[in-house]
Amino acid sequence: MDGSADALIVERVLAGDVEAFAILVERYRDRCARYAMHMLGNREDADEVMQDAFVRAYRSLGRCEDPERFGAWLFRILVNRCRTAGARRARRARTFLTDETALLTASEEHPAEQWAWREEIERALADLRPEQREAFLLKYVEGLGYDEMAELTGVGVSALKMRAMRACDRLRVLLKEVRSA
Amino acid sequence: MDELVAQLRRPVPLDRSFDTRVMRAIRTVARQPLRMISPLMPMPKWRVWSAFAAVAAGMLAVAILPAMKQTQQGRPVQFVLVAPAARTVQVVGDFNGWDATHAAYAAANRGGGVWSVTAPIPPGHHRYAFLVDDSLWVPDPAAPRVADEDFGKPNSALVVEDTP
Repeated sequence: MDGSADALIVERVLAGDVEAFAILVERYRDRCARYAMHMLGNREDADEVMQDAFVRAYRSLGRCEDPERFGAWLFRILVNRCRTAGARRARRARTFLTDETALLTASEEHPAEQWAWREEIERALADLRPEQREAFLLKYVEGLGYDEMAELTGVGVSALKMRAMRACDRLRVLLKEVRSA
Repeated sequence: MDELVAQLRRPVPLDRSFDTRVMRAIRTVARQPLRMISPLMPMPKWRVWSAFAAVAAGMLAVAILPAMKQTQQGRPVQFVLVAPAARTVQVVGDFNGWDATHAAYAAANRGGGVWSVTAPIPPGHHRYAFLVDDSLWVPDPAAPRVADEDFGKPNSALVVEDTP
């Protein structure tokens, strides 16, 4: 894998080296996959949104104001695409496929009990309101600060803190119910 | 909660073909770095105007082209589009690699919404279109459409004879 800084790779792509974009795809796909899968809950939508985000990033690369922070810029595109996909899906009233992510993250060496726990986590995550799930994933799973989150989502810090807190409270309740069952 | 977060931070396996599929899409976009006009978009006024101008443009081309000398790059062909609201009009085609920045194929506003450019085109069969405001893909209303489409959008056909 090419260890060049993002800015150098962006510069190469903008100069016409299309194939250099593959380095950025390889570098950021895993993080994008994790967020998209947890946010959308199924592989098909996550895959579509990720591909869309990378293509949009490529097409808008000239407008990336800080190429050194390409990853953050790409992630902002992804978050917006997830929002759009989530809203579209809500309009279609599709069922949230909670167990697919759990299935994908499960591996054969894990016992059934652990797999069931992961499934419950995904189910609980899916039970959150989209804006709460978004705040929770960005804060606790992606490890962003509230200022970064505010910049990324366009939502105020106070509102984000409230959403993340409510998400935590709700998850605790849901998972406690599962554990005590 | 720590256990929950640790679980969610685990990597999510991706389809092995993901990188390949993304790069295939990127390469397609790289060949088509433009936002195409949607076939479902309402027809803009300037396209209606361009239909009226088609006959005039054809007559203009017939009158001017024979008088122009053939260059080493090809024979001069005049492209005309009526687009009163346009800010820029560019001719893109297989003869210039669909390059939307090629200065030799940038049409000039001749007044009254008439845009035209005369550029050397090599003999042979060609496909082309107009690019309006760097975003709208418009086939030439004065020329026949090609049977099959490039980039999913209709193009115009142009035949440049080898002999004067």
